[in-house]
Amino acid sequence: MSERVGIIGIGQSVFKSRRDDASYPDLVREAVAIALADCKLSFDDIEAIVYSLSPDAMVGIGNAERLGVDAVGARGKRFLRINTGGSTGISSVAAAFYHIAAGACDVVLTAGADKVGECGDSQSVLNKIWDPTYERPLPLGTITMLAMSAVRYMYKYPMDEEDMARVVVKNRAHAARNPYAHLRKPTSIDEVMSSRYIAWPIKLFDCCPQSSGGCAMVLASERYIKQHGLDAVWITGVGHSSESYYMGERMGDKVKADHADAFALAHSFKRAFVMAGIKDPAMEVHVAELYAPFSNTEFHAIEAAGLAKLGESPEKVRDGEFSLGGRIPVNPSGGVLCTNAIAVTAMVRVAEAALQVWGRAGEHQVPGAKIAIASGNGGDHQFFGTMVVEA
Amino acid sequence: MELLTRTERWNITYQHALGEVASWFFTQIRDHGKIYGRRCADSKRVLVPPRAFSDETLEPTKEWVEVGPGGKIEAFTIVYESFQNLPDPPYAFGYVTLDGADTAIGGFFKGIDLSDPKRAANELKIGTRIETRFAEQRKGDVLDFWFELSRN
Amino acid sequence: MRNVSDKRDTPARCGVIACKSVVPFESKKRSLEEVLYELTQSVLADGGLRIDDIDGIVVAANDQLDGRAISIMAASGSVGGVNRDILSTPSSGEHAFVLGTLRVASGHFRTQLVLAWSPMEVASTSEALRLAADPYFHRALPMDEWSAHALQASRIEAAVPDSAIAALHVVAKNRRCGRLAFPNQAIGSSDPDSIAASVPFRWPLTREMIALPISGAVAVVLASDDFIAERQIANPAWVRGMGWAAESAYLGDRDLVSLPGLASAVEQAYRKAGIKDPRKSIVLAEVADTTPYQELLAWEHLGLSGRKTWKHDAIAGTFAEKGKIPINLSGGALSVNPIFCAGLHRIAEAVTQVRGQAGDRQVPGANLVVAHAASGPAMQYNTVVVLGRSSGESE
Repeated sequence: MSERVGIIGIGQSVFKSRRDDASYPDLVREAVAIALADCKLSFDDIEAIVYSLSPDAMVGIGNAERLGVDAVGARGKRFLRINTGGSTGISSVAAAFYHIAAGACDVVLTAGADKVGECGDSQSVLNKIWDPTYERPLPLGTITMLAMSAVRYMYKYPMDEEDMARVVVKNRAHAARNPYAHLRKPTSIDEVMSSRYIAWPIKLFDCCPQSSGGCAMVLASERYIKQHGLDAVWITGVGHSSESYYMGERMGDKVKADHADAFALAHSFKRAFVMAGIKDPAMEVHVAELYAPFSNTEFHAIEAAGLAKLGESPEKVRDGEFSLGGRIPVNPSGGVLCTNAIAVTAMVRVAEAALQVWGRAGEHQVPGAKIAIASGNGGDHQFFGTMVVEA
Repeated sequence: MELLTRTERWNITYQHALGEVASWFFTQIRDHGKIYGRRCADSKRVLVPPRAFSDETLEPTKEWVEVGPGGKIEAFTIVYESFQNLPDPPYAFGYVTLDGADTAIGGFFKGIDLSDPKRAANELKIGTRIETRFAEQRKGDVLDFWFELSRN
Repeated sequence: MRNVSDKRDTPARCGVIACKSVVPFESKKRSLEEVLYELTQSVLADGGLRIDDIDGIVVAANDQLDGRAISIMAASGSVGGVNRDILSTPSSGEHAFVLGTLRVASGHFRTQLVLAWSPMEVASTSEALRLAADPYFHRALPMDEWSAHALQASRIEAAVPDSAIAALHVVAKNRRCGRLAFPNQAIGSSDPDSIAASVPFRWPLTREMIALPISGAVAVVLASDDFIAERQIANPAWVRGMGWAAESAYLGDRDLVSLPGLASAVEQAYRKAGIKDPRKSIVLAEVADTTPYQELLAWEHLGLSGRKTWKHDAIAGTFAEKGKIPINLSGGALSVNPIFCAGLHRIAEAVTQVRGQAGDRQVPGANLVVAHAASGPAMQYNTVVVLGRSSGESE
């Protein structure tokens, strides 16, 4: 279809550790209400819903999307749920995009929520993503998996723990200006360096928090947007790609896709860039919301997005290139490092990218931003969804 | 306003079929203390742990190849934090390319003093040679073996 | 891969060009990943395709049945997900078909591989599925999907007293078909009296009124009209119309007899396919029948037989093998029940008829058929797909 797909409404919670005042469906409804109010539509205007929810075990309810049907106003309406692990949120926006691009609907809602803080131990749930044949008995979790990525990155490129700390300092400073972020307290390199080791070289302050909250977005066809004279920003590029599930395939001297880097993310971005007509991201992109739940992962995300060459992002972080006020701010919202409600984290990346090019990002606005990119990672650093959002 | 909570525990048991390839691999470990990889039909790459097919190329694998017991470290981490249902810290684990293999397999690293993270990280740095050690009593499981630094 | 910036002005028409089901699958010698690998190789061969012909993939599975926290991870390599765009819709197997169709229609993909699977590795499927009951009000009750289906059956019996006898004949019909379709499987009773007299299961369901779960995996390949024309594919099953809808989670909030979600799904599908008189247009159907009461509701909503004629049509065989409009010639889930992929299995069986590959049970002239899939407690999700031998372009 030569018509575009636009974002007309956004809603996100003020993310916190626990939301004992709200059940899981309540959190979803909260974000949906904000998104509908944002575009002044009601449930009657929504033709289909894409529900964003990653592991059921995290909310403690099998097929928890069923409980969310009413929260998203899906009674009698088209409804399906997406799960691609941590990238679920961006994959959900993509699925909603395809509903409209297919000509099947004019107005689609995508929404979800998470209560990671309520799960007894998210790392032991996340251990269950590994295959029971070979890797489940090992103490694999997302932290250890990405600690190993840091180890390989340090082996290949100039990067040390202080470089990782700089990413934390940058993102916390950004989050201090974002009223929706979970961890908003600024920090220092010293404070990060003296926090305790979780899994070497990742320390407590290098890790994302366990957040609870929801996010929702309303997408519409260009035709609908014009007919109703609505304000919108546009999804001009969408891409997904994935790597081998076996981490051991991403290691060794002759390997093509090293666990240090994020080749499938680069591949996913290439697809989105081709669709959006972006040829030189480092020169054309104004702002990026890149999924990075641990400080070290921001480096390979920046490089996969083509904003720096392989191994060069730590130096550029040091130079302030990716800070607010710098050349291409990365994660001006504070990113996943400051807020991680797993089921919707990758949707929040798209929402924040949209707010930027819409000029609605308040105190963490990148002045004049017109082209933004967003990414989401899922599985054992395996599934990658990307988007380009433009004014 | 009194806010109540409910506690729920998930307790589900699974019997996962390992298939012929993984079953043979584990019986060799259990009965003979040997590790084998599978060679891809076209690319000739030896996959460890073994699989019936390569997910990169979707070609089937055709023959068994003994690998190790020496190898080199490809990635490691040292865990200092306690997680429910996971071992007591500190412990080190990661991935090793065994001699003769083209992909890396996961396992614990033992026999290293982990009290000083920087020193331990240096001992475990990528490229370090290791030897595979096997437990006396083996069940046919990845925990039947682990890796220790080669002493030479 | 096509250059995705070549946009079309109208949505692509979408056809199913390959189809394979393995119900049940041999699980002792193979791991789940190996089963999926073989199924993928087999469905590609069925369509004369290579993996490079696949632009994207949508899979569906249930984490609690699989014993994995992200079921897409097992699949990704085995089904060709490496370096490919792969998404997952764990809400149901048929939703993977829906999303696959939308992706092809969008013009951004020329093909989609769609798979759903349902292993039997969990000690208790009932327990695994009971975890879907909300922890707020219903988890302490024995509320697994069987209980929910039974509660729905009890409502239907109360609303339509004739439904009980009709249900017995539906089971009998599907079992007779199932024996032909799956000669190597142990299929339950096809005698209405024995079915009625069998041990109680969850009132009003007796043990013979359902089939206990077995494993299964189903795969199809969808393609755009461009691709089909270019490759000169002779017998696609064109998607002529598709509808899907959900209902609320709490059974107490729902009307389990009038099923508005199914009504909505049928309306969407029929409108797109231009079906105004289903009894005239539809040649055969594959409908949800985890319990026979589900099939009766499908008869009504698909416009084939209202509740006043259920008993008559069930006894007279209107929808039996030699009936006016055969329904569930595959035997349905009453014969072989691969729970999570039972819905996609209905679609696959309908596709097989349209493509003329149903062997002994082929209905000649199966040019317009309907597939109906229902998932979740008491048919919370309903999906309807109208498939045909012509793309409908000239109509």
